[in-house]
Amino acid sequence: MNRELRFATESLPRKPLVALVLWSIPEALPASLSGIAVARAVDTGFLAHRPLIGLAWLGALVVAAGFGGIGSRQVYRLLGLVVEPFRDELVRRVVGGALRHSLRGRSDDGALARLTHQVEIVRDTYAGLIVVLRGFVVTIIGVVIGLLSISPIIALLMLPPFLLGFGLFLGTLGMASNRYRASVRADEQAAIAAGAVLAGIRDVVARGAEEHARQMVAVPVAAQAAAERAIARVSVARTCCFAVGGWVPMIVLLVAGPWLHRRGFTAGDIMGGLTYVLIGLQPMLNNLIAAVGTSGLRLTVTLRRILDASELPAEPARRAVRATSGYDLAVHGLTFAYGPQAEPVLRELDLTVAQGEHLAIVGPSGIGKSTLAGLLCGLLQPDAGTVTLGGVPTADLATDRLAALRTLIPQEAYVFGASVRDNLRYLNPTADTERVDLAVRAVGADALLARLGGLDAELVPAELSAGERQLIALVRAYLSPAPIVVLDEATCHLDPVAEARAEEAFAERGGTLIVIAHRVSSALRARRVLVLDGVTATEGDHSELLASSALYRELLGHWEAGSVVGSMIV
Amino acid sequence: MITFGAVVRRGGGWLPLIALGGLVGNLGMLALPEVLGHAVDALVAGRGSSMWLALAGGLIALGIVFELSDAYTGAACVAGTTAWLRNRIVGHVLAVGPDGARRFATGDLVTRVSNNAVDAAKAGPTVMTMATAVLPPIGSLLLLAYIDIWLAVALLVGLVLVSVVIRAFALRTAEVIRAYQRAQGRIAGRLTESLVGARTIASAGTVELEERRVLAGLPELHEQGTRMWQVLSRSSAQATFVGPLVMVAVLVAGGIELAAGRISAGDLFAASQYAVIGGGLGPLTSVFSRLARARAGVSRVTEVLAVEPVAYGDRHLPDGPGRLEFRGVGVRTDDSVLLSDVDLVVPGGAAVAVVGESGAGKSVLVGLAARLREPDDGTILLDGVPLAELDHDTLRAAVGCAFERPVLIGHTVGDAIGLGLPAEQITSAAVATHAHEFVSRLPQGYDTPLTESPMSGGELQRLGLARAWHAGRLLVLDDATSSLDMVTEMQISRTLTNDHGHRTRLIVTHRAATAARADLVVWLAAGQVRAVDTHEALWARPDYREVFG
Repeated sequence: MNRELRFATESLPRKPLVALVLWSIPEALPASLSGIAVARAVDTGFLAHRPLIGLAWLGALVVAAGFGGIGSRQVYRLLGLVVEPFRDELVRRVVGGALRHSLRGRSDDGALARLTHQVEIVRDTYAGLIVVLRGFVVTIIGVVIGLLSISPIIALLMLPPFLLGFGLFLGTLGMASNRYRASVRADEQAAIAAGAVLAGIRDVVARGAEEHARQMVAVPVAAQAAAERAIARVSVARTCCFAVGGWVPMIVLLVAGPWLHRRGFTAGDIMGGLTYVLIGLQPMLNNLIAAVGTSGLRLTVTLRRILDASELPAEPARRAVRATSGYDLAVHGLTFAYGPQAEPVLRELDLTVAQGEHLAIVGPSGIGKSTLAGLLCGLLQPDAGTVTLGGVPTADLATDRLAALRTLIPQEAYVFGASVRDNLRYLNPTADTERVDLAVRAVGADALLARLGGLDAELVPAELSAGERQLIALVRAYLSPAPIVVLDEATCHLDPVAEARAEEAFAERGGTLIVIAHRVSSALRARRVLVLDGVTATEGDHSELLASSALYRELLGHWEAGSVVGSMIV
Repeated sequence: MITFGAVVRRGGGWLPLIALGGLVGNLGMLALPEVLGHAVDALVAGRGSSMWLALAGGLIALGIVFELSDAYTGAACVAGTTAWLRNRIVGHVLAVGPDGARRFATGDLVTRVSNNAVDAAKAGPTVMTMATAVLPPIGSLLLLAYIDIWLAVALLVGLVLVSVVIRAFALRTAEVIRAYQRAQGRIAGRLTESLVGARTIASAGTVELEERRVLAGLPELHEQGTRMWQVLSRSSAQATFVGPLVMVAVLVAGGIELAAGRISAGDLFAASQYAVIGGGLGPLTSVFSRLARARAGVSRVTEVLAVEPVAYGDRHLPDGPGRLEFRGVGVRTDDSVLLSDVDLVVPGGAAVAVVGESGAGKSVLVGLAARLREPDDGTILLDGVPLAELDHDTLRAAVGCAFERPVLIGHTVGDAIGLGLPAEQITSAAVATHAHEFVSRLPQGYDTPLTESPMSGGELQRLGLARAWHAGRLLVLDDATSSLDMVTEMQISRTLTNDHGHRTRLIVTHRAATAARADLVVWLAAGQVRAVDTHEALWARPDYREVFG
C-alpha cells in the first residue's frame, strides 16, 4: 500500500467508523427491500386482487424509507466525526510545512492553494469515498439477501456477471491511476510553461522571440491534450466494465425468463429481479466506479502533494559548544555563493564589529548586502570561513540563543492581525506599557500609534502602508532585549527625516547597530562603513573611504572629471 | 476575438457524435422500461416474449455502444478545444505585447490559460447534451400519462415533495459553506502574514509561536465543518426518506389501476422505472450549471483576446548608423502624463545615458525606443524609418533591450540566453557580457536547467545582457547593469564601445560614472527632457548632481 492510502486509512478513527458502518444498514434498507416489496405487492396483492396487501407491501417500503432516513442522518453525522479530524491534521501539516519551508528561504507559492483548495479536495473526496465504499458493501449485501429471498436461482443468475464487471473494473485501476497522474503532471507542466512565458512577455517581445515562446507553450499543451485523451480511453474501458456488471445480469435474467416462467416463477419475481438490477446493482456500481476511479485517484494525487510539501529535511542540530562571551561579531575569510557552482557574492571577507559599534554597509543593489546580513545573523551559513558571535560560531548557537543575542529587521516588515501591543512586544513579550511608550516615542511612531488608536487597538495589516509597517517593526526591534540590532534596509519606505530619526534612536539605544543602508545618508551617520562591490569589500570611516573607494565616492554622488573611474574607460 | 458560438463550433466533427449519443442514449433509456414491461407481460402470458426480449437486448446493446462513444467523444472534444484555446490565449498575449498585457496580472493570465480555458472548452459538449438532457424527465412524464393519467399525477406530486427538499438544502448549505469559508479565510490570512514575515520569524526563532497563532482558527473551522455535516445529515435524511416516495406514489396509483385491470403487471413495472427516471432532476440542473461555467470561461478568455495586438509594418531598414529620433513624443495614462513633448536625436553609434529621478520617465522613454510600448503622440524613427512601420523581424534584429530584472524563459540556461538562436551565437554573447565564466562552471554548462541554477542579481543581469547582445543597430540598457560590480560593468561597457559596428546605445543609469562614460546624457525630469549635454557640462549644475545623490 502506498503512503497516501496508508495515511488515509490509518487516520480513520475506529469507533465512529464502526458506528458509521452499522448505521449504514438501515440506510440501505429501502434499496434492499425495493425489489422484494415490488415483487410481493404485485404477486400477492394487486394481481391477486387483494389491493390492500399490495398497499401494505408498499407501506413497508415507506417504513423502510423512514428507517433509511434515520440511518442516513446518523451516517452523515458520524462522517463529520471521521472527516473533520482528518482535515484538521491536514491543515496542521500544511501550515507547519509552509512556515518551516519559508523560514529556510524557500518561497512557497503553493501554500495557500494547498490550504484552501487542495485540503478541501482531499476532504470532499475522502468523505465521498467513505460514503460510497460502505454504501456499496452494505447495499450489495442487502440486495443479495433480497435476491435470495425472492429466489436463490435468480440470485445465482445475476450475481456472477455483476461480480465479473466489478473485478474487471478493479483491474483497470492501476492503468487509470498512472494515466491520471500523468495527466496531472502534464497539466502542471502546461501551466508552468504558460506561466513562465506570460511572466516574461516583455522579455520575449523585446527579443522578437514570440514564435519560439509560442512553441515553448504549445508542446506541453499538446502533451496535456494527449494525456486527457489517454484518460478518455480508460473511461471507455470502465464503461465496458459497467456494461458487464450492470447490464449483463439483466440480459441473463431476460434470456432465462421463458425458462424461469416454465419453472413457475411469477411476474412479480422477474420484476423484483429487474428492480434490483435497476435500482440496486446499477447505481451502486456506477457510484463505485465514479468514486474510486475519479475521486479516489484525485484523493491520492492531491494527498501526495500535501504530504510531500509538508515533509521537511532534517535540520542539523545546533549545539553550543561553549558559552558566548561578550557581543563581538567577527567574520573571518567568509565566502558565500547562491549555489555550489555560482560565483561567490562575498569572497574572503574579514570584518569585526565590536560591542557597541555602529556600522553601515553600502553597495549597489543586488550585490549581496542582505546576504551578508543573513550571514551575520546566523540565518545563512558561509561556504567557507566563519562568523562568530561572542566567540562562538553562529552555526553552534541554538535559535533561541541567537534570538537573544541579535535582532534582524528585514526590508519587508512583519505585522500581523492582533493588537498593536502584541505586534510591538513580539520580541519582548514582557515589556510594560511605559517601556513600549518610550520606544514608540524614541523611534518616532507616536503619530502612527495615535492614528491606529493606541496600544490596544486591533491592527489590520492590509490597512498599513509599507512605511507604517516598517515603523512598527522598528519599535519592535527597539524594544528587543538583544544587544545587537541589524537593520536590513528596514527604513527604506520611510522619508529621509523619519529615517534619520529612527536611526538616531537606535544609535542612542546602546548596543551594536549594523545598518544595511538604503540611502547613502545612513552611511554618514555611522562611525564605520563597509563598501561592498561584489568582488571587493572596503572598510573605513567616511574620510578614509572618500580617499580609497571609487565606488563610495560614486555612491555619494561625487564625481570629478578625469577621476580614476572616468579615466579607466574614456 | 472569438464568441461562445465559435468555441462551440470548434468541437467540429465530435459534436454530431456527442449529440447523437445523447439523443439515442436518452431515447433508449426511455424506451427500455416500456419494452421490459411488455417482455414481463409476454413472459407471464407465455407467448411472443422472444420479440420483446430481442428488442430489450437490442436497446441495451445500443445503449452500451453510445455510452462507450460518449465516454470518449466528450473528453476528446474538450481536450482538443482546450489546447486550441490555450495556444490562442498565449499567442494573442505575445502579439499584444507588454503594453497591452499590462492590464492583466501574470497570475490572472495563467488562471485564464490553465483553468478558464478548460471551462470554456466544455461549451460544445455542454450545448449538445443540454439539448437532449430534457428528454428523460419530460419523456417519462409523457409515457406515464400514456400508460395511465393517474401515474403522471402521482409522479408530479412526488416531484413537488423532492423539489421542496432540494430547495431547503440549497439554502441551508449556502449559509454554512459561507461560514466555513470565512473560517478558512482567517487561517489563510494569518498564514499569508506569517509567510510575508518569514525573515523576521526566522531570525526571532518564533516559528512555534507563529504556528499556534495561525492554527488558532482551527477549532472554529472544525466547528463550522461539523455544522456542515449536520446540515448535510438532515438533508440526506430527508432525501433518503423522500426519494423512494416518488416511486411508491406511482406504484400505489399503478397498483390500484393494476388491481382494477386497467393496466398490466408489465405496465406497472415500466411505471416504477419512469418514476425513477422522472425523479432524477439532478442531471438537468448540473447541465445548466455546466453551461453557466462554460459561458463564464468563454467570457474570461475573450476578455484577453479582445485586446488589440501590436501591428507591425512591412518596411525594412536602409543602411544607416542607427540614428534614433524622437519627434514630439508623448505618453499618457488615464490619470497622468508619463512623457510629453520629447524631441530628441540620438546620433548613430553614440552611447547616450538617460538619467533622472525615479518616476521621471526613463523606462518609458527607452521602452518606446525598443517598441515595447506605443507613444500616444509623435513618432520614433530609427535611421529615418518610423519604428511602427518596420517589419517584425527587421525591428527585433535591429533593436535589443536588456532590463534591470530580466525574466529568464527556457528550460536551460542556454535556452534562456538564446530563445531559439544557434549555440555559437549564444556562447559569443555570453563571452561578451562576462556570463560565460559562471555559466561554464554550472554542472552541465549551458545545458543546466534554469531551475537548478540559483543566481545572484548580477549574474542574472549578465544573462539578460547576453540575450540582448544580438541587436544590430540599437542596444537599450534599462538599468541593466545596476547589480554588477564596477569592474565588470566597465569591462562590459568597453566591449560595447569597441564591438562590431559601434551600435547606438541608450543606457538608463543611476551611476554617475556610467553617465560620465557616455557620449551624451539625456536628463529627464517629470516626463520632460530637462537637458541634453555631456555629463561634464551638466555636472556644474547642483540640481543635476542631486539626481545621483
